[in-house]
Amino acid sequence: MECLRIKTSGEVRILGHDIEKGQRDIRKRIGVLPQSFNAFDYLTVKENIEYFGGLFDKGVAAEDLIEAVQLQDKRNVWFTNLSGGLKQRVGVAIAMVNDPDLIFLDEPTTGLDPKARREVWEIIRKLKSQNKTVILTTHYMEEAEVLSDRVAIMNDGKFIAMGTPKQIIEQYGSGSTCVVKGANPAAAEAVRSAGMTLEARDGDLMVKLDNKGSLPRLVGLLSGSEVTYDEVLIKGSTLEDVFLKLTGKKLAEAEQ
Amino acid sequence: MRPKHVMVDLKGQARSFFRVKSNLFWVFAFPLLLIIIFGAIFSNLGSEAVTLNVQNLDQGPGSQELLAALNETGMVKLKFISPSADLEQYIKDNSLAHVMVIPANYSSNLASNLTAPIELRLDETVSTSGAVFNAVNGVVNAFNLRMAGGEQHVQIEMGSIVQERFTFLDFFVPGIIGLTIMTTCVFNVQGTISRYRANGIFRKLATTPMTPFEWLLSRILWHLFISFLTLAVIMGFGVLIFGMNMSVNLVVVLMIVAGSAMFSALGMIIARFVKNEETASMAANAITFPMMFLSGTFFQLEMMPSYLQQIAAVLPLTYMSQGLRDAMVYDNLAGAYFNLAVVAVIGVMFVIVAVLITKWEEE
Repeated sequence: MECLRIKTSGEVRILGHDIEKGQRDIRKRIGVLPQSFNAFDYLTVKENIEYFGGLFDKGVAAEDLIEAVQLQDKRNVWFTNLSGGLKQRVGVAIAMVNDPDLIFLDEPTTGLDPKARREVWEIIRKLKSQNKTVILTTHYMEEAEVLSDRVAIMNDGKFIAMGTPKQIIEQYGSGSTCVVKGANPAAAEAVRSAGMTLEARDGDLMVKLDNKGSLPRLVGLLSGSEVTYDEVLIKGSTLEDVFLKLTGKKLAEAEQ
Repeated sequence: MRPKHVMVDLKGQARSFFRVKSNLFWVFAFPLLLIIIFGAIFSNLGSEAVTLNVQNLDQGPGSQELLAALNETGMVKLKFISPSADLEQYIKDNSLAHVMVIPANYSSNLASNLTAPIELRLDETVSTSGAVFNAVNGVVNAFNLRMAGGEQHVQIEMGSIVQERFTFLDFFVPGIIGLTIMTTCVFNVQGTISRYRANGIFRKLATTPMTPFEWLLSRILWHLFISFLTLAVIMGFGVLIFGMNMSVNLVVVLMIVAGSAMFSALGMIIARFVKNEETASMAANAITFPMMFLSGTFFQLEMMPSYLQQIAAVLPLTYMSQGLRDAMVYDNLAGAYFNLAVVAVIGVMFVIVAVLITKWEEE
């Protein structure tokens, strides 16, 4: 879809153009941040943006892009001297040089620390607010859940789930769970005898909240005189839980 | 083909090329170091007199006459060993290579018309021994002829093959220009392609409207500029500092264009066939190293054994260096055009292959 590989079968249309016959037209209207992106080491941030901008006929002024990715104070620093997070921000700016309608970001936050990752997220949110379509590839389910309007989960080259994050979690997730931390055996006994589904793990009780009445009932059970516990919290299903359930793999394996 | 894309890449290279310190070294310092080092080693060859150590045990006028004649040739510089010194020990202590001993009875033997031997000890492993022998032999022959009252029937008239006076540097420097152009073009182009493929710049460029052909063209043009810069630096240095005789004419310009394109394309071909970054760099070394030493840059081809000369005959640098020498120093236009034709044909072939096999990404 980024005009990098030759298709093996099927048909793909990007912005109305066939990916084989319309490559020239597609390239003008898409912006790509490739996986493990690098720009020219011995050009500055601004010179790199100008280089890629010069390859397109229409474009955005380099200064505007520098501002968009908040690299004003690094504009004259050589690319080789930037940290990983800053390099990715340069990559996003370069993906935007031709004012594209469609932007591909391939694992833009892989290898970044949590702060740098959130800075890239901010920039992606800004792209969304400018009505750009962003196709984001990521291994971080949290990132997909926070940023996306629509998510597609791919496993072994096939889509296994697609929809808004909420839809997917509702469809494949296991609902909400109430976690009772530091519960005593009396607490477990009370919940079990009330017929609620639970799982005990290291002194914590994970109680499944099947319906609307589940939570008030549980609260009632926990107020029993024999029952003691430290802390109660409610956990919803996350996209990560869904992913693990659907792919049957540990995330760590998937990332390798 | 969009000239604008080529210009964008050229501008990028112009901005970044000399920010890399090693590029400064290879383009400027490396050729100058070679000229200075090899110039110092070879430029004194043949131009300065060789020292001949003399132990004169003779007191008479005959030996004085012989020594005066030797001195006059200008080919040897005489240095005297005390008659009382132990010769064997003295030679060892001072590592002498050329020693002449005039025996005590030399003058008296001459006066009585007897054969008067002089002893000449030479270290044959030292290249200047031949010159010393020739000098002494020439003087002795002249003496014999005169004493026999003979007449010189065969006479040598000296004439130089080169019209002007050339030094070793005049021979050496055109070769250094060819050598430097080869190393900068091959290593830079190969290095850039291997690096851009490994770090993903090609993957990024593939998503832009620039074509691989436009990129190759820009790289060839840039290295052409660097090659002319090399020519200017080396010539400027040679003419200003060493006072060399060199001229630049159309053949030289065409040779630089053809040679630079040929070696840039060679770098592209190496990088395309050898995918791994380190292996590609080794391959570039393996191809350029034999050329460095076998293409007549440091010594004339005629000095090498014939099987090495046959290898030299298939190395493109041989023709580039020889062509530059013909055009810049020897004023041999026929030779220069022949060598230019060889380089141009190989260059066109290499460029065609490079263009055909270059893609942004391997499938």
